[in-house]
Amino acid sequence: MSNVWLLYMGFAAVLLFTGLYCLLTMRNLVKLFIGVEVIGKAVTLGIVATGSAKNSILTAQALAVTFIVVEVCVVATALAIIINVYRHTKSLDIRKLTQLKG
Amino acid sequence: MIFLFIALPLVVAGILPLVGKISPRLLPDILANAVFAALLAIALLAGPSLIGQGAGLQPLVFLGEPLGIHLALDGFSLFMLTAISLVGLCIGLFSVNYMEHYGHKAAYYALLLIMLAGMNGLVLVTDLFQVYLFLEVAAIASYALVAYGLGHEELEASFKYLMLSAVSSALIVVSVTLLFGLTGSLEFGAVSQALRSLDQPLAAGLCAALFIMGFGLKAALIPFHAWLPDAHPSAPAPISAALSGLLIKVSGIYALTRIFLKVFGLTPALSNILMILGAVSMVVAAFLALGQKDIKRMLAYSSISQVGYIVLGIGLGTPLGILGGLFHLLNHALAKSLLFLNSGSIQMAAGTRNLEEMNGLSKKMPVTAATTLVGSLSIAGVPPLNGFWSKLIIVMALVQAKRFGFALAAILASVLTLWYYLIIQRRAFFNKPDEKWRDVREAPFLMTTATVVLALLCIVIGIFFTATISTWIEPARDALAGGLQVIQSSIGIQ
Amino acid sequence: MMAVQIGLLCGLVVFSLLAVLVRDILKAAISLAVASLLLGILFFRLDAPYAGAFEISVVAGLITVLFVVTIALTKAEGGVRESRLAAWIFPLFFVVFLVIDFLVMRRLIGQIASLPAPAEAGTFGQVLWKGRTFDLIAQVGVIFAGVFAVLALFRKRSKHE
Repeated sequence: MSNVWLLYMGFAAVLLFTGLYCLLTMRNLVKLFIGVEVIGKAVTLGIVATGSAKNSILTAQALAVTFIVVEVCVVATALAIIINVYRHTKSLDIRKLTQLKG
Repeated sequence: MIFLFIALPLVVAGILPLVGKISPRLLPDILANAVFAALLAIALLAGPSLIGQGAGLQPLVFLGEPLGIHLALDGFSLFMLTAISLVGLCIGLFSVNYMEHYGHKAAYYALLLIMLAGMNGLVLVTDLFQVYLFLEVAAIASYALVAYGLGHEELEASFKYLMLSAVSSALIVVSVTLLFGLTGSLEFGAVSQALRSLDQPLAAGLCAALFIMGFGLKAALIPFHAWLPDAHPSAPAPISAALSGLLIKVSGIYALTRIFLKVFGLTPALSNILMILGAVSMVVAAFLALGQKDIKRMLAYSSISQVGYIVLGIGLGTPLGILGGLFHLLNHALAKSLLFLNSGSIQMAAGTRNLEEMNGLSKKMPVTAATTLVGSLSIAGVPPLNGFWSKLIIVMALVQAKRFGFALAAILASVLTLWYYLIIQRRAFFNKPDEKWRDVREAPFLMTTATVVLALLCIVIGIFFTATISTWIEPARDALAGGLQVIQSSIGIQ
Repeated sequence: MMAVQIGLLCGLVVFSLLAVLVRDILKAAISLAVASLLLGILFFRLDAPYAGAFEISVVAGLITVLFVVTIALTKAEGGVRESRLAAWIFPLFFVVFLVIDFLVMRRLIGQIASLPAPAEAGTFGQVLWKGRTFDLIAQVGVIFAGVFAVLALFRKRSKHE
């Protein structure tokens, strides 16, 4: 695999790290979800970069487009849950959601 | 024909809101259950003949032009389809009465059907990316279904479930992308051939590790189990049954098995990792289940433990091990759904999930008590119920492969399982009834019918286990035979 | 030419970092939108116009609108105080990760053999509609799931358990 591909994957890895850091340390529910979105960007970048490196950019675009559609639906569901949580606890703090012990 | 498994639930889900406007109570129930029944009928009647000639690959034709849809129905897929439709039908019947209080049943049934379509699709596709897509279809439906009650607990559980599940889905897509980068294709057969010819153990190992993390979370293997003990108890009872009985198996175990046995081939290292994960889940979750007071939480930890059994059997890689694992998958789907549905009956009748409060309900709810007993004994592995045979086969396979440590762990977990299920039986049913349960009555007819059907299946499959194995499980195992070659030659078993 | 790509990549990372670290949640959402914009432009430069158009219109557009609507609907009193520690410790972890990332990627140069993909025939439309038709069915499924999820989560509750 070419060096350029490694460059793109390196940047995608940085984005993945950023998203994971956000999920581990942030407290605002919407901010946590922004972390998931950043991870989604990393994945999309990975898909298109891989397609570009392998000369199959059309298939990669089809995959990326489908992935973006899935991402939108997950966002819609997650934000619906977050709004409902706000209606209950009047706050967006993850520390208010500690009733269950896991 | 097999395209119906995905198309029918989606179409009916699409028209359910309109139907729901016309008749909010009756028609959605009938329609949804009709879909489940129809799919079950197709699976039972048309299925065996479709796979009789070997794996059926169906290229579809639409308006004279061949569509790029390749669905493969082999023994393993048919086995999963039958199990999904069967348990789905019972869950649908149960929901008719149970979901009355939750409101807007049309949306509930639509989500349930979409989850069904997603699971069916996952089982039928032959392309790595499409596995991910249908997994997401079922997952998004499940996020909404867990949060369906809109109470604080449900929303919290659903949010945490969503976050963890989104990360695991991302890991799966990263792995699929890497495989696409390595091999230039996404289809199972092509990727597997390409990986063999490529011989890049490091890259393939990385992809396998990402898959284990991603699908391991979906299957709730320890250490990726954190979402399950919150999500399954908070969901409405039929959804707990659907999640524990079906979703973790289809999106976790089925996907893992299919990909590892068809695409990667089960190398000894992979087999060991799977077996260790399975054994740890099996034992640790059993210990954790002992301390629970909430009946649904105890059942949730039990699910993690039983999934460990299944992964242990499949990870072993010998034909007998895979047979045992798949058989246990079926048995656990039946029995665990039964138990969760019954916990719903108890919750609806007595209003509590706390084991310390329930006492002596057996006089008031005889059918529920009896079916719970059947389900508990089945999972605990008491002869002649079905669970006993599947656990025995797994232990036998472990002994045959000379992995005595794992066999001992399996037996230990069985003992623990029996222990905590007897706790449920004793606390919930057999003590003297409390005064406050004076007015408790048995659950409504449809709910008890669903649970009685599942209980009868547990008993019948237990008695006729050889027939069950040869009709359903052996074709499933044979369909996976390709990936067994590697491990068989390394252990020296033929 | 590579300089532009690298510039876009760095911009993408910078704005994603801002989206994670900035306190005000609305500014974080806008920052995420800008990151999506840069990613879309990067896709255009990689000869992936459809992916770029989708990324910009859907992620930078639709998802940002959804985020802004949610933020507007959940104006919490005083907001959520994020941990100061997390924001200050982050640069340390980030630099460590960058170093590890760079070293790993450098080590892997030329190490990964791969098979060439089969030559692609047709246009994007043909590849999507003929080659990956089932993905479209799955998309229908996902969209149904999302729509019904939102419907179910925002339903009118007259009496509930």
